[in-house]
Amino acid sequence: MTGPRTPTPFGSLLDTLTRQRGVKAGMVVSESDGIIIDSNMQIGVHGDRVAALAASLYRKARMSATAAGLGTATFFQLEAERGRLCAAGRNDLVVVVVTEAQANVGLIRMELLRAAEGFA
Amino acid sequence: MADDITRWSDELARDPANLVFLMLGEALRKQNQLGVAHRVAVKGLERHPHHADAHDLLARILVDLGDFDQAFDEWDMTLRLAPGHVGALKGMGFVRFKQGRLPEAEEYLRRASGDATMPDVGASQALRTVRQSGAFVAPVPAPVPVPEEEPATLFARVLTGAGQTALLMDASGLVMAGSYLLADGSDVASEVGAALSGVSDEADRATRHLNLGEWTAILVETEAAVIAMAPAAEDGLLLLAASRATPLGLLKRLLGRCRDTAREWMEGRPS
Repeated sequence: MTGPRTPTPFGSLLDTLTRQRGVKAGMVVSESDGIIIDSNMQIGVHGDRVAALAASLYRKARMSATAAGLGTATFFQLEAERGRLCAAGRNDLVVVVVTEAQANVGLIRMELLRAAEGFA
Repeated sequence: MADDITRWSDELARDPANLVFLMLGEALRKQNQLGVAHRVAVKGLERHPHHADAHDLLARILVDLGDFDQAFDEWDMTLRLAPGHVGALKGMGFVRFKQGRLPEAEEYLRRASGDATMPDVGASQALRTVRQSGAFVAPVPAPVPVPEEEPATLFARVLTGAGQTALLMDASGLVMAGSYLLADGSDVASEVGAALSGVSDEADRATRHLNLGEWTAILVETEAAVIAMAPAAEDGLLLLAASRATPLGLLKRLLGRCRDTAREWMEGRPS
């Protein structure tokens, strides 16, 4: 994990998320501009890149779901050959997790939804 | 018939537990609106899972869709709920006849034709046909003709739960198969497909930049529904939506089945 960081209200949330097996990075991101607010990442994860792409992806999913008349998106997951990207958000804040392909998504989803509730 | 369908639809909308779905489903089936009929029957069964005639209705629709195995299972359930159900016995005899299993077909139809005091004319005629066929046809499975799949009802066999719907879109976001029906029966597949297809472009970009390999699935939970997407052949996109109550694990399994169905359909289409 990275070194000491400036304390934020999201520190313990990110610690909880990144303690889950298979989680490589957890971060809280601004949905509108894709900038990291706080993060906890393994070495080698390109935080800024993940934040920008995840925020864009989440925003697109949220807006598309609304446009399709399906209501507000509460949880998003992208599965790929070498990993997953999960996100949940509220009020312009998105909590994002990058995991290995074999990570237990059920647990991570519960933590993300709980975290997003806290953004209310 | 169209007036009846409208009236029964209205009654069902007012009272979803109304048994009028049996007549509505049968009327839709006779009009060859098999996808909608299937939905009506499945939805009705969710409210009346122990109603023998509801299982009988679903079985008849499944036969029309060419899914003989599922139809047989539904009629089997009908018989468990209503032993001696003539419609189920005739249906099971028909399925076995189509499958070339003539002794079994004969047994079901013999039971359906009743006794001398109350014979069932239709079953008796079918029984005669089977017996005559048996004199000339060897008891080996006959090839069952695969019905031409209608694009709009392509996923009807796979999706059995209420509120489940699937779309197959091409690379430009145009709907190729499937439907997205609202409660009033209107199909908004094009609108929903157009709205959601852009998510896959973002997914391509994200996986490329994050070195995650090809994306295999996207899941989105919303206030009203759960949505799953997967890449399809020729840069197409498969989209599956279900009610919010559908567990994500089940949604992924359904997505896999829809993907298989879409692949088979694409491979069978003339290029």
